[in-house]
Amino acid sequence: MGSGFIVGVLGVSILAHAAYSTVQYRGLLKIMEDEFSNPPMNVVIELLLGLVLCMWAALTVPGKFLSIHPDSEENRMVSLPGNLDFMIFNHRAKVFRSEIDMKLKL
Amino acid sequence: MVTKTEETQLNRLENQVDNGGGGAWEYLCLVKKLKVRRPDKVLRHGLSILNDPKKRSALGPDVWTLYEQVSIAAMDCQCLDVAKDCIKVLQKQFPESKRVGRLEGILLEAKGLWAEAEKAYSSLLEDNPLDPVLHKRRVAIAKAQGNFPTAIEWLNKYLETFMADHDAWRELAEIYVSLQMYKQAAFCYEELILSQPTVPLYHLAYADVLYTLGGVDNILLAKKYYASTIDLTGGKNTKALFGICLCSSAIAQLTKGRNKEDKESPELQSLAAAALEKDYKQRAPAKLLLLTSALKSLKTS
Repeated sequence: MGSGFIVGVLGVSILAHAAYSTVQYRGLLKIMEDEFSNPPMNVVIELLLGLVLCMWAALTVPGKFLSIHPDSEENRMVSLPGNLDFMIFNHRAKVFRSEIDMKLKL
Repeated sequence: MVTKTEETQLNRLENQVDNGGGGAWEYLCLVKKLKVRRPDKVLRHGLSILNDPKKRSALGPDVWTLYEQVSIAAMDCQCLDVAKDCIKVLQKQFPESKRVGRLEGILLEAKGLWAEAEKAYSSLLEDNPLDPVLHKRRVAIAKAQGNFPTAIEWLNKYLETFMADHDAWRELAEIYVSLQMYKQAAFCYEELILSQPTVPLYHLAYADVLYTLGGVDNILLAKKYYASTIDLTGGKNTKALFGICLCSSAIAQLTKGRNKEDKESPELQSLAAAALEKDYKQRAPAKLLLLTSALKSLKTS
């Protein structure tokens, strides 16, 4: 969790640095009265690097992904809940109660 | 709906709590959430928490739900004095509560005093005529007395008002199956599948009822529903795999005399048989021989 977080912060800071250098580049172009067609090459590389780092951090920081298939090994339904609203009490446990001698103390 | 992870978690917690590790409160919460019926364990571990004043105060306001849960578990284990004490504590805390009134009615049921319980529920119903739990307890009284026609009548009346209650539909289907009224049970299961199509166990129960009804059309439909169960459980439901093999052999037997137009391909049966053998090899290799001989007799008959 710690390393993913640091990588995420690094990725965001690289993106911020790329944005700042693009703004500076535009300022430079305005002085030189040239057209702004593409940001310079190093900014593009920086952007791609920042993208990769941020995506990696976003996938690892939140934790384990859970399966969404309803028929996967973890998600498949094994049994229905007992119908507790219709529960009846005259079953065979009436004769078995010898071992359970408990009291509620107050 | 108990999924496989939840089941393993429940078993693990149960083992842990039974062998003296902590985590009793977690276990009780999980049992309450999954709505499983484990009265002896709930009673034992619930009382161990409730009898300890330190643990009781650690729970805060959740202690009252624990009292309710333990009282119902006590009634299930027939420790009626424990149940009575819990209800007394709850009454002291919440004097005019209808939830506690319901619990008292359930205690009368557990004691076997059906007439008094019926009277208690009717008086509670006068104040709240639309309380679903009270209606359901009346059905449970009729069921406990063995009076199935009355139970069916009450349940049908309840379902006219509360048509979306799938627990009640399930209960009605089970009562019909126990009375062997399979066509009505099939109707109830169809309602359940309509409202919750992704629950494979309803498909399985419906297929079972269809297979029991018999007749080529019903068995063909049963085979389709067994197949949909296998689809929804990822192939892990052994009962559905057996169902497919039995349906295919039953269809083959029933249509023996008819002309040999090509039915559905026999792949489904062979695939199901192969899946069953793989499963048995993994989980119960001692019985594999029994299984293969049974499957062979199904195919040839």
